[in-house]
Amino acid sequence: MNSESKFNFVKLWAWMSAAFIFPLIWVGGLVTTHDAGMAVPDWPGTYGYNLFLYPLSTWLYGPFDLLIEHGHRLLGSWVGFLVILLCIWAWNTESRGWYRWACLGLLGAVIAQGLLGGFRVVLDQRTIAMIHGCGGPMVFAYASFLAFAASSDWNRARPTLKANGLWRLSWVLFGATVTQLILGAQLRHALPYTTPVGFMSMVHLHLTFAGIVTLAVLGVFYLVRRPEYQTETKLRSPANALAALLLIQLALGVGTWMVNYALPWSETMPSLARYVIAAKGYWESMLVTAHQATGSLLIACSTWLLCRVGKRQSTLTSSRNSFTIPNAVDSMASEPTGAIRILETVE
Amino acid sequence: MRRFDTTKARVFLGNWRTVLRFPYSVPSIDLQRSSNPLLACFLMILAATRTHLPRNLAVSGWLATSGMLAVICLATGCGRSELGYKPNSLHAASLTREGTDQNPISIAKKASEVVETWFGNIDQPKWPTDQVGLADQVLRMDCVERCAGPVGRGIDKVERGLFRKHCVSCHGLSGDGLGPAAMLLEPYPRDFRRGTFKFKSTPVGKKPTREDIHRTLHDGIPGTAMPSFRALDESEEFAKDVEDLVHYVRFLAIRGEVERRLISLHVREGVELESNSQRMQEVLVQVVQKWADSPDDVLVIPETPDYFQTPSDDSDHAQRIEKGKTLFESELTACVKCHGPTGAGDGKSQDFDEWTKDWTILAGIDPKHPKDWKEMKPFGALKPVLSKPRNFHWGAYHGGKSPSEIFKRIVLGIEGTPMPPVARAHNGNPGLTDQEIWDLVYYVMHLEDR
Repeated sequence: MNSESKFNFVKLWAWMSAAFIFPLIWVGGLVTTHDAGMAVPDWPGTYGYNLFLYPLSTWLYGPFDLLIEHGHRLLGSWVGFLVILLCIWAWNTESRGWYRWACLGLLGAVIAQGLLGGFRVVLDQRTIAMIHGCGGPMVFAYASFLAFAASSDWNRARPTLKANGLWRLSWVLFGATVTQLILGAQLRHALPYTTPVGFMSMVHLHLTFAGIVTLAVLGVFYLVRRPEYQTETKLRSPANALAALLLIQLALGVGTWMVNYALPWSETMPSLARYVIAAKGYWESMLVTAHQATGSLLIACSTWLLCRVGKRQSTLTSSRNSFTIPNAVDSMASEPTGAIRILETVE
Repeated sequence: MRRFDTTKARVFLGNWRTVLRFPYSVPSIDLQRSSNPLLACFLMILAATRTHLPRNLAVSGWLATSGMLAVICLATGCGRSELGYKPNSLHAASLTREGTDQNPISIAKKASEVVETWFGNIDQPKWPTDQVGLADQVLRMDCVERCAGPVGRGIDKVERGLFRKHCVSCHGLSGDGLGPAAMLLEPYPRDFRRGTFKFKSTPVGKKPTREDIHRTLHDGIPGTAMPSFRALDESEEFAKDVEDLVHYVRFLAIRGEVERRLISLHVREGVELESNSQRMQEVLVQVVQKWADSPDDVLVIPETPDYFQTPSDDSDHAQRIEKGKTLFESELTACVKCHGPTGAGDGKSQDFDEWTKDWTILAGIDPKHPKDWKEMKPFGALKPVLSKPRNFHWGAYHGGKSPSEIFKRIVLGIEGTPMPPVARAHNGNPGLTDQEIWDLVYYVMHLEDR
């Protein structure tokens, strides 16, 4: 493990990467909300300039869609730079072999996201934009996992939990939030030729999964207060955060519907009957984007919960269980040789 | 504890390296024209990872991307549908439903092909200059071209594809009101192809002016999914966008109406669907001419009386209310039938709009029958929904809240809906005088918040 006397740069870069991926997702969401994906028609350059040399004044004082699209690209590059730093520090100082490879995997995922973003522009394909939009939150969850795995709780936690319920429910929640994200992306990136029936089905699925996520979060909130989990107070933080985010997300969901399609029962209240949607309005755009960004936070929080529960789950120490990886690789990392030495031997 | 088997991993990586060597020729593929964007993307990733990235990085990036592609492929399907204006098979089906064995799909397709020779395709619209002039009086093709095609800026930084950016999710690519979100909305998004517009300053049967459509775009429609583009209209950067969209809406309406009338001509009179047919070209000219004439048909609204702006004394106010109420409840206006005795929109008379009647009642289908209408579902029909009369207590007027706009709705009616125009005393014809209409407007506006 890392020496506690030294400043843990791996932890710093891991947290910084996750912290900057979130605004990257937010700006990316704004790009989708304003349909600004093709505001810059070339890639990897911007209007013939090198990405980093595009004139500041034209960028900042130019059209809004160009501002956010070019800003999204720059922010993506900054995240890539942070992840490179994370990889360098991890490969030099991190003793856990799996963590080093995982950092490299994050770099690969960030590059893949960048490539997808580029292909979206070069091929002018909304389907790729949809894939890119789904990939962003997954990369955020991945970066969050690395940040949690670099935290002190990860090292201190001991496998004391015997009950499996919360562990299973955490996976259900994680799966449901990811599915919900993919369904949301289908709605956000609906193609012009999507049929009304297809879109309606997707809306119903999105609402169904909203119900599943709600039930799963309520279940987690309840379980962490049960006697079998009461001793592990650290589990309450992710559970509380999930509950708070869920409330915000549900409100944002209703708001998103309202500013996109108006409420179907608008004829029941004078204020709703008089409400006029503002096309591309500032607050409307922010609300819709916030709904998408909060969805990403829910996935990240589900990852946080999985990390905290997983590290405390004594049932996972069984050698047959496939979820031994984090604990198992931790112990493997205590040997100085690690994965690199094995690779060298094979060479 | 199980160790990571690196030998197997090396074999695994080796195999993938063999695969990664494969696509050297990929950059030469015309990627923009690839029928499958995901395949093109996949091949480009292979090429990029093979040539530019270290091995391990390439593999992890490749795996991450492939995973995402697989998930989305499962959810969305990988193929690319051809974008184009959809043939109006619903209209063809409603005309051929009874007394004919013609295939509506093939008729609609043929009509669409004829229309395409005149109006171009979805990415490159054009004006049938050889057949009909009048382009300058009807619309500006530079504005139409800017609204058509995919969304994005060109290298000249001019934004294009405005219709797909702002309108397509509800109104659909062809302006058929069948965008992805159509089923969720109430009322359904407007189908422009009938050439019928609700809120305008011209009488029933006449076309709206540019200003009429602009007003709907600028103000939006309260309580519905039709947004207000006021923010765009009032910004220096996007002000032209709204005006351009107006031109494109007119283009879609003209194109759609010509298509409908060609289908009708073919089914009812047996005229062959050919672009060089004399009869077909006559139809084209007639439709375009009606749009060119719209500015001449505008209703001149008398000046709004001062008492709408400044409060008058109680006795005048009460008198006007009383007069308006009497007219509201009279047989002459018949407002009560739909809007109810108190103006709460709860009258006894209920009806469907003309867009629905077009493919139901006219085709011999009962729109109220829960199953009959489904016969037309494969052609794009949505479940018939009754037109809702306004509840005046809420002050949410779809066509505009000002006294002059309400005056227009009373005098001109709302085309395509059960709201008829009232008879107006004019040139010796019997009907309501302008003063009486203002009294009615006064009464209707007074009902707000009651």
